[in-house]
Amino acid sequence: MRNPGLISDYVDALARELDFDRSLARRVRQEIEEHLWEAAAAEPAADRDEAQRRAVERFGDPHAIAAQFATVSLARQASKLAAIAIFVIGSTYALMKARLAWYAVAQLVVSDELRTISGAVARIDGYAFWLSVAIGIAAWAYIGSRHVPVRLNPSCRKELHRFFALCGAATTALIASAIADAILTGLRLAGMGWSPAFLLPVVLMTVEIACVGALAFLIGNAALRTRHFANPAAPAA
Amino acid sequence: MLKGHLDMIVLAALAAGPAHGYAVIEEIRRRSGQAFDLPEGTIYPALHRLEQDGLLSSKWVTADSGRRRRVYALTKRGERALAQQRATWQQFSNAIGGLLRGARA
Repeated sequence: MRNPGLISDYVDALARELDFDRSLARRVRQEIEEHLWEAAAAEPAADRDEAQRRAVERFGDPHAIAAQFATVSLARQASKLAAIAIFVIGSTYALMKARLAWYAVAQLVVSDELRTISGAVARIDGYAFWLSVAIGIAAWAYIGSRHVPVRLNPSCRKELHRFFALCGAATTALIASAIADAILTGLRLAGMGWSPAFLLPVVLMTVEIACVGALAFLIGNAALRTRHFANPAAPAA
Repeated sequence: MLKGHLDMIVLAALAAGPAHGYAVIEEIRRRSGQAFDLPEGTIYPALHRLEQDGLLSSKWVTADSGRRRRVYALTKRGERALAQQRATWQQFSNAIGGLLRGARA
């Protein structure tokens, strides 16, 4: 009969460590729990608790095991993150083009007195955007060329840190571009009376800011997760 | 020493046929004459990684005992990878053997 005890506590701890990847945590929990019950049943020890203790002890430290599972998951998530970054950069470009097309249709022009400042902000916007494109592609190519190692070793940690640094730089440039976009939108709409034609650029601008914000959140989250598993102070198996 | 060869060891243990993690560990112990008593927890991340790399496939199977087990099997790619690693190991083993045979006692 299966009573709660050491095995349940162990698999709970392992699943908690892998909580960032729910499907992985569920699968690992099920698989390892089955293994441990089988190992405990095969133990010659007559005492049930002692058999469980030995099975768990032989399996190893849950943090170290989780870190090995996490290596595969983190590498996969890093590749996914690179693809998301490219998608967000592409979406930003599409949203910007849609706004410009709408300005032409609705004949929303920048007033003469704001034209100089608008031109300067547009140049900053262009540089920041293309910088984010270049760094984003570099991050994507970099992570795509890496091999997933057995463990989150120092070389793998360094590669992931480089990747997150590239993603961070691409996102920073994209944030600068989005801020410039928001200023340009504001300049274009400033000085005009309220019109329903404003609604579309405002909505598109909001979507752009939300996309860039979500990308920054995802990158920050993934970087923190990597730091958690790469923590050298964590107990080893 | 085993660290760098874990993938080959796991693939070799599955060469006889599909098996679940516990059976893979037992197979490694048995076929190595108990010499490779790996920490059990290291096998599952390796199985998972090899599956991600397309060298293994896996599915849940309910055993006669009612236990649900994740059973792993070599894919065609896995068979090719094992054959390649076996050839490389054989070459290495022959080279070291030749070197040691020629060494002075």
